[in-house]
Amino acid sequence: MVQHRLPMLPSAGEVPWVASVNGVNKQLNIENNAILLDVLRDQAGSLGTKRGCDMGTCGCCSVLIDGEPRLSCLTLAAEADSCEITTVEGLADGHHLHPIQAMFAECGGSQCGFCTPGFLVVTSALLEENPSPSDEEIKCAIEGNLCRCTGYQQIVDSVREASAILTSGEAVEDSTSPKSDPHPGFSGE
Amino acid sequence: MAKDGNEDEMVGYRQQPGKLPFAKPGSGGKDRFSRPTDQEMIPESQGGKLTQPWGSHRHDNLVSGQVIGKPTALVDGRWKVTGQAQYGDDIRLPGELIGRIIRSPHHYARVLSIDFSKALELPGVVAIATGADAENKFGVLPVTKDEHAMAVDKVRHVGDLVACVAAEDEATAREAERLIEVEYEILDSIHDMRDGLENSEYPIHDRGKYHIGEANVQKRVFQEFGDVDGIEENAIASHKENWLFAGVNHAATEPHAVVANWDPSGRLTLYTPQQVPHYVHRALADVLEIPMHQINVHRTFVGGGFGGKSDPFPHEMCSAILARKSGRPVRITFDREEVYWINRGRHPSRIEMNLHADNQGRICGIETDALIDGGGFASFGHVTTYYNGVLHTAPYEIGAFHYTGARVWTNKPASGAMRGHGAVNSRCAVETGLDNLAEQLSVDPIDLRLANLLPPHSATITGFRVTSIGMRECLERVKEESGWEEKFRKMPLGKGIGIGCGFFISGSGLPIHWDPNKFPHATVHLKIDMDGGVTVHTGAAEIGQGSDTVVAQSVAEVLGLPLDMIRIKSKESDTSPVDLGSYSSRVTFMNANAAISAAMQVRDELLDATVEITGAEREKLVIGDRRIFAKNDPAVGVSYLEALHKAQEDRGALVASGAYRTPPMGRTHKGAAAGLAPAYSFSAYVAEVSVDVETGQTKVEKVWAAHDCGKALNPLAVKGQIIGSCHMGMGQVLSEEMRYGRSGHLMNPDLLDYKIPSVHEMPEVFPIIVESNDPEGPFGAKEAGEGPLLPILPAVCNAVYDAVGIRTAELPITPDRLLRLIERKCKAEGLEDPRELHSPRLEYSGLQTVLVNRAEEHAMRDLDRRLNDERGPYHNGALFGLDPTTPPDEVDEKWAVNVIPSEEYLAEPRLAGSAWKHTERRHRGDS
Repeated sequence: MVQHRLPMLPSAGEVPWVASVNGVNKQLNIENNAILLDVLRDQAGSLGTKRGCDMGTCGCCSVLIDGEPRLSCLTLAAEADSCEITTVEGLADGHHLHPIQAMFAECGGSQCGFCTPGFLVVTSALLEENPSPSDEEIKCAIEGNLCRCTGYQQIVDSVREASAILTSGEAVEDSTSPKSDPHPGFSGE
Repeated sequence: MAKDGNEDEMVGYRQQPGKLPFAKPGSGGKDRFSRPTDQEMIPESQGGKLTQPWGSHRHDNLVSGQVIGKPTALVDGRWKVTGQAQYGDDIRLPGELIGRIIRSPHHYARVLSIDFSKALELPGVVAIATGADAENKFGVLPVTKDEHAMAVDKVRHVGDLVACVAAEDEATAREAERLIEVEYEILDSIHDMRDGLENSEYPIHDRGKYHIGEANVQKRVFQEFGDVDGIEENAIASHKENWLFAGVNHAATEPHAVVANWDPSGRLTLYTPQQVPHYVHRALADVLEIPMHQINVHRTFVGGGFGGKSDPFPHEMCSAILARKSGRPVRITFDREEVYWINRGRHPSRIEMNLHADNQGRICGIETDALIDGGGFASFGHVTTYYNGVLHTAPYEIGAFHYTGARVWTNKPASGAMRGHGAVNSRCAVETGLDNLAEQLSVDPIDLRLANLLPPHSATITGFRVTSIGMRECLERVKEESGWEEKFRKMPLGKGIGIGCGFFISGSGLPIHWDPNKFPHATVHLKIDMDGGVTVHTGAAEIGQGSDTVVAQSVAEVLGLPLDMIRIKSKESDTSPVDLGSYSSRVTFMNANAAISAAMQVRDELLDATVEITGAEREKLVIGDRRIFAKNDPAVGVSYLEALHKAQEDRGALVASGAYRTPPMGRTHKGAAAGLAPAYSFSAYVAEVSVDVETGQTKVEKVWAAHDCGKALNPLAVKGQIIGSCHMGMGQVLSEEMRYGRSGHLMNPDLLDYKIPSVHEMPEVFPIIVESNDPEGPFGAKEAGEGPLLPILPAVCNAVYDAVGIRTAELPITPDRLLRLIERKCKAEGLEDPRELHSPRLEYSGLQTVLVNRAEEHAMRDLDRRLNDERGPYHNGALFGLDPTTPPDEVDEKWAVNVIPSEEYLAEPRLAGSAWKHTERRHRGDS
């Protein structure tokens, strides 16, 4: 039989909701039974947080609530009231990508990219807690996230590389820095 | 033009090392000096240090050493990691409405009436549409258009579209769904694919005069090639297995989503995550009855395709219809469950595989019978039916090929194209069969394969033109690196190792719409203005495989530019030339060839301009990093921007258009074009598994995965494709299955019960890239997206046999299925404890030496054929003593070419072959 995804509880109208989303204070009126994922995508403007399954199986909707990775599709928005929420949009420092973002882009950790926000959020929390995780620890951290493209191997590589950058204290280049000069001089080849 | 006379003036434009030229408009940025050319990246044929064991290539002189062959990050990667990439559901237009689909709760029913008056009264509901709003049929293949936007007359599976509604918000749209009353007359539904072969009172579709009997047979194929009558006489070992493959779904992480908007000028823009925007474009025009130029198809970022987003879809039509009716943009996003209703996954299949070997260890016959379950619609099924047979006519030279295939409609969500389209299941059956033949012959299965390979530049038994083949290298590499000799048939119970091979098309030779005026398969436009950046317009659908990156790399390489100077515009049909789409592993091969052709035109203009400025001889100029200079005197040269500005004098921006069409190929029998490709990829995997004999749990520990992709333009992406293919194939062989209950309902339309492998199930994969340098591929490249999936299934099955001595013939090999087989084996052997079982062992027969010797001879033959341009033709059959230079059927009357079954066959047909017992309506006297 065709099933329909319906809100778990009947709504009793709108309630005020306050949270910090990526450092910005959001004051919204939300349905009192609203799911956090819906609030983030439809009201708070975080379209980087992805909807893959609506039942906590794929991990695409992962966000950090007060620093803890959580599945926003299984979280009532009310549970995150007054919390600090970090989504994929909140990982970079301006145009300096978080090393984990840079390495997912560089090392093949992201192919179609749809699961990527979830992986980034989860692994950034891992590196926050454990800056030099073993491969096994990386695998355990991402066991709740499904990726259909990469077979995970290059994701683990990306996290490992990001960990190396973080521990070395290297900065990721500002993405607005100048690109190549089309009019180069002769170097003396 | 070069200045005449004065020698000094000939080299007058000499740049002093380390001295910066005067600033020009458009100059500035990082890396102020041209990097010396990396000779390691320049082919031997051009005097560089890149060794070319497979010979030179027609694109060698275009190599500037910039990016081709270097691990390269995807050019759109930074959008993805910042959350800025907009997928289908991320397109939010002002004033949007939310669309929802009303779906059939019945397997098969006639829609008698739809009453949506109550729903329309609900505040917030803006528009409702039903099948009556769009009665024209569409479908991805022009020969089998059998879909409607919404049900016209009948619904054909649970989840089939009945109506759609657009409302101010999602809650209202869902409420409206419940208020729409549909009256159905339930019809007897068909769920077992075998029933589809029989006549039915209400066939699921009516093909008019082309309808086959009164049955639900959508497509049937009969093919007989070679010495079919001699099989029995020649065979000393035969393998027969009846396989049952469950249907599997692509399970892309992004559920389908679409946004439609009619702009004030009355044009439609459809935003959709699609692999085939061009076919959507055509279908929209058909369904909406407007000309194609009134439509702009905007491909959004695609959150995984794998074939699951390669049909024009009814929900895309629905959003356009609702947006037209309501006057507002309409966004429709699927729940995960709806992804399974639209499906297009791999066909559930029943495959009978018969393989025969003769006393020389040659494969003297392959007889395949494949019945595939198409579900409710045709989709790509016409092609799938062929692919299940014709795609296992290589890489082996065979004495006879007999294939019967049939695709039937059943009342399930439609099957379609999925990564490895049509080749995966039958390949699994072939490769496990070869393992069994090797066992019967007491030879090593890898040596059996090595002694039966087609050589480079040959033709298969069905007449496919094979150019480059890296199969031998793939087999040798995995054998070596996996430690095969020490492990095969030597490991303890519960540990096993197995081999599997693959063969796949690199682009379909025939486009789906073969227009008589010979449109190209792919077209690429370049535009370069005074700023020096190169804008590439291409319609190729970037779906995460890196097609934008490959086209950028190709252009950058030819023009000697870093990737940051290339920008790709591939999203909109308004601005991109037509590309047929991301399917059949065609994009790298065809689109990069088109891009190279466009870039060569610009390159020519830049070289001309350089000659004009410097007076140097054109033949001696080479392109390096952002600089064009004389090869023998690099100081004589100009920067890229100088040459560009010269070329732009009196005309402004440079523009160029490049296109690719496949060469004429193949033979003329019916169906000869199915499986024809300008090149083929080859792969060999060795998988090592552990099987817990007490629980039936199989774990794949390691996979050595060798794939011949011709040339890895981007090794990082090729490795990603290989590992990702392992993931998807592993899912199908061990855990993924669309499970239908006794009443025909799909029981697991979600990612909890439909189990795709998580990180813990993934083995360690060792990707091995083999580069056979295809003569027609861009810089030698062939596909790497689908072929690598094929070998993992049989490699795992064969490894399971090595571990516990049990051949499975049903996928997936779930613990319960394997445990049942283990228990059966224990009972048969009178064992109480499965730990007392013995895994198989191997003692070579005399044939082993014959095979090893032949493989060595063939290795020499292949080396000669790949390097020697004087080689003659080689047709399948030479291994059996026939003249290699002519197609055997032209000289040997024993050598059959039949595409219609004989009376004799029909007296005793195999399962799918029995589809031929029906007569098409047009050939029946009674109609």
